[in-house]
Amino acid sequence: MIGLFKRLSLILMLCAPTQTWAQDVVVGDIDAPSSNDLHEFTRLLADQRIQTWIQDQADDVDAESETKTISVREQFEIFAAKTGQRVQDLGAAWAAAGHAPTMISERWQEQVTPNRKVRSLTFVMIFLFLGAGLEWLLRQYTNPIRKRLEHGEFETLSQRVLAAFSRAALSLSALVVFAIGSIGAFGAFDWPPLLYSMILNALATIVAIRVFGTVLVLFLAPYVPALRLVPIETPLARGIGRTLFSLAALFIAYIALIDVFERLANPEFGAAQTPDVLAMSVGFGLVCLAATLIAIAICFRMVKRQHGQVSRSHGRWRAYISFLACITFVLWLFDMKIVMWNVALVGGLIPVLRLLGIWVDAAFDRAIADFLAKVEADPIPLPDAIIEDAAEHITLIDEDEPEVIEIVDPYETYRPIAQRLVRFAAIVCVGMLLALIWNLGIFVTTDSPNIAQQVFRVLLDSAAALLIADLVWVWAKTAIDRRLSAYSPPVDGSAPGPEARMATLLPLLRVVLMVTLLAIVIMSILSSVGVNIAPIIAGASVLGIAIGFGAQSLVKDVVSGIFFLIDDAFRVGEYVEIDQLRGNVEKISIRSLQIRHHRGAVHTLPFGELKSMTNHSRDWVIMKLEFRVPFDTDLRLVKKLIKKVGAELKANEVYGDSILETLKSQGVRRMEEFNMVVGVKFMTRPGEQWLVRRDAYQGVRDIFDANGIRMAERNVKVEIEGGDDLTPDQRRAASAAAQEASQNQLPPGPIPDEP
Amino acid sequence: MQTTQTKGAGYNAGLIIRAARITSGLYLLAYVTSHLINLSLGLISIQAMDIARPYLTGTWTGPVMGQLLSLSLLVHFALGLLAIYKRPTLRTSLQDGVQLVTGLLVVPLLATHAIGISMLDDFGVDFSFNQTIRLFWLSQPTLGLVQVVMLAVVWVHGCAGLFTWLRSKENARNILGWLYPLAVAVPVVALLGYAEAGRAVLTQAEAPKIEQAYEAPRQTTENQQAAYTATPAPVVDYALIKQVTRTVIWGSIVLGILTILARWVRVSVIKSERVSLIRDGVGPMPSTSALTMLDGFRQNDQSHASLCEGRGRCGTCAVRILRSEFPLPPPSPLEARTLLRINAPENARLACQVMPAGGRVETAPMYPADYSFHDEKSVLSEPAFEVPT
Repeated sequence: MIGLFKRLSLILMLCAPTQTWAQDVVVGDIDAPSSNDLHEFTRLLADQRIQTWIQDQADDVDAESETKTISVREQFEIFAAKTGQRVQDLGAAWAAAGHAPTMISERWQEQVTPNRKVRSLTFVMIFLFLGAGLEWLLRQYTNPIRKRLEHGEFETLSQRVLAAFSRAALSLSALVVFAIGSIGAFGAFDWPPLLYSMILNALATIVAIRVFGTVLVLFLAPYVPALRLVPIETPLARGIGRTLFSLAALFIAYIALIDVFERLANPEFGAAQTPDVLAMSVGFGLVCLAATLIAIAICFRMVKRQHGQVSRSHGRWRAYISFLACITFVLWLFDMKIVMWNVALVGGLIPVLRLLGIWVDAAFDRAIADFLAKVEADPIPLPDAIIEDAAEHITLIDEDEPEVIEIVDPYETYRPIAQRLVRFAAIVCVGMLLALIWNLGIFVTTDSPNIAQQVFRVLLDSAAALLIADLVWVWAKTAIDRRLSAYSPPVDGSAPGPEARMATLLPLLRVVLMVTLLAIVIMSILSSVGVNIAPIIAGASVLGIAIGFGAQSLVKDVVSGIFFLIDDAFRVGEYVEIDQLRGNVEKISIRSLQIRHHRGAVHTLPFGELKSMTNHSRDWVIMKLEFRVPFDTDLRLVKKLIKKVGAELKANEVYGDSILETLKSQGVRRMEEFNMVVGVKFMTRPGEQWLVRRDAYQGVRDIFDANGIRMAERNVKVEIEGGDDLTPDQRRAASAAAQEASQNQLPPGPIPDEP
Repeated sequence: MQTTQTKGAGYNAGLIIRAARITSGLYLLAYVTSHLINLSLGLISIQAMDIARPYLTGTWTGPVMGQLLSLSLLVHFALGLLAIYKRPTLRTSLQDGVQLVTGLLVVPLLATHAIGISMLDDFGVDFSFNQTIRLFWLSQPTLGLVQVVMLAVVWVHGCAGLFTWLRSKENARNILGWLYPLAVAVPVVALLGYAEAGRAVLTQAEAPKIEQAYEAPRQTTENQQAAYTATPAPVVDYALIKQVTRTVIWGSIVLGILTILARWVRVSVIKSERVSLIRDGVGPMPSTSALTMLDGFRQNDQSHASLCEGRGRCGTCAVRILRSEFPLPPPSPLEARTLLRINAPENARLACQVMPAGGRVETAPMYPADYSFHDEKSVLSEPAFEVPT
């Protein structure tokens, strides 16, 4: 059968006026149809069902092509016609307004007899009692948990939020039990359609109002300040909670009532609103508008009364929200649902974003205050003045008092991220709602978008790309900045810590990230506008390859530099040796390394040139010294004396802490012609060894001197056989000859003492 | 000498009132439960209801028991009004408020049902469930609705009283967990029985004419009875019944209003001093000498343990008086007894009973605000609540 239909649709194409198409299909050497086939075909064409089906298909194709060619002007015409129709409807509704209530009540009387009415009310009472009873039962068992939550003391923000949500979950579960009990029992009976929808409406209204109440309690917690998520005072929370609850109840009741009226006016579902219902609807709408305006006024007045002095923006916000409510109402009145939702959601987003910002700020202030209170309670000694406000605290530390122990509060750096995140979530929610509304709205065929829809889509796409990029950027930036702010450049002379490497890499990363994000955002916006970005990407990659070949060595420098940095081979401030060059690393750029020789010369080395390097500033340095003493020296005494010097060095307040292993004797290292070589060694942090060496030499010399140990001096001992009784003249002559001989023999020269 | 006498009298009066209130309430609740069980048999059939009626309902409304029931109702209502009159404030906890409102509503709602049936009984008409259900669902659906409301009100009031009483009893805490489901099941099943019986009656009434004609002879007589058409045998003075019912309804409403008015006069006549309370370092909270400490705490949104809702039974609202600007009034016998029972220290008082005469009172609660007997056996034995010197 399906194959047959396919063939038929092909025939439809043949019959269609698009001749070229038909020729294309006909071309080809197919055998001529047999007479049987032709008979079958004519029979099928004569069939009434087939004919209507073909007709329908043709109509559909027509309709499709019509919607596709709809122009802006025509759209405007349609819009104007709709509005005109609505105005006429409203006029009819105005005319019907006088007798609408009596009309509705007549309908009510004729559809529902009084006895039936009372009986259904009896049933509603029974269902409500059933639901309430089950809910009460659940509450009795969960009451201890609830009480514990409500009276508990919570130290951190997360605990408080968790407790608030647990309480709301308890309430909601009770509500679910209520709904199941009442609506479930209701569903178990058979009802006439009108009564069914009415009772269901009534029960659903009660449940909806209570759900809203639960959400309000979750945020405002009018009676339990400890669980309040929104940072406002108790009277304000109560007042606002009550006002909002009444308003929401009014709106929900309004929706339910209008629904019932519509069902009363035309029992068949989906028909247009009759003037009576419209009149009632507009009337109730006016009531809702008035209630909204009053609620806004009440809320703002309560805020004013609570805070006494308010800023000038207070009145402006009030006017803005009231205006928004009025505009929404007018749009609703003219049945421009989509525009209304757009205005309401986007307009409402602005104050909501502001409130959310304030909320997040307050939450952070509270968390920081909690943290500071906890720190204060701890026995760790702290500066006298603990500053309440975190912002104040930071500026103060920046200003002066370097000796103040810094209290690193763990939340401050997350504040911007949280702000963005909350804002992002709000905007995404609104965007998704808007997208839903647009797709479900008057433009039924989504495959033929009109201009407004296109613009909307582009805006939505761009906003999403921007928001995500912004979020990622802020997150990365705060993370990088946090790491960077934790880094302090090393004080002169001391070796830099491992975080010095970050000081090099992170700014680089930040720039790369920014460029990447920017490119991605621009690309996605362009693509959503409709620009084909494939050529851009292709061009960029060709350019990239060209530049890459040209700048091969540059790329090599950069890449090997990144790897040197990742390997942690050197850091800013370290003393390194590369081939013949020595010096402190002064600057690490993206391409090269600059080292300053200790005599002032600066060498610049591209990373690509580095094969291997020696780092003298890592962890520790051992230094060995030698002393020459005569053979008759008491080595035990030497050991003791050196130990003493070592203790003195260790006790030195300038560099004592830098000595890892202090000076100690290694005993006789070797024997020489005229003396013994006593070895000593010590271990210090890199860079400290020179000072220690200086003092070690000095100390050892002094203490040897004080204890009668001479340093070995070069002397010539002349032994004359049988010369025990020489005259003074002979002695003098012999020593002169010996001196002459020794001077010729040994040229004087420094003995290296460094390893 | 005189003080001890008055104390003795107060002792007796307080105890007698308390006992009478509980006893009469329990008796009434027992009857209601039994009656509701009878009603829930409607889930089976209306005949089943009528078969069980002599046992489940009739035993309670017999000649002696019936008098006892009426007496209990009267006593309970009167004591309730007295309690309202004596209340220092009407703004109390939710449960207490519910109990108060439902208590006031019970008698007006009940009057038609109770007086109608008992007086018909006096005239010799045995008003069966079959007739009653027909009356409530077919001829007088408004009355039927009132019955449902009344059932809810009566049951809520009874349960509120019962559970408040049980919660204040330390050794009753095991029963509570079992009673809660029963407290829901009994009225719900009764209501479903009522609804099912009503549906049975309704379908019967809406059935095609042939079946009606088949059952016609019996039904018409019943309908005549139900519609207050006097049958020849018992002479029923319906006007009198209506008269009495109306009198009782309006009388009880007026009594309730008068009580509230009298309370209002009493409260406004009493000259109250300013009291500032401090609870556990929180405060000072403004209060007056016309309020108990518990009411003072509640008015200032300080939650405070009180399992018996301020009736002086449970002792969970006990506070230690750390300092009082003026001497507090001596404990009433009721309070003294409860304090003795919970082995309270010297300076402890019940916040629900003591009304500070004025000035600044510093207190410390002896139990956490979310305390219930489900918690540890007794907090009092812990050293944390030692009396400071």
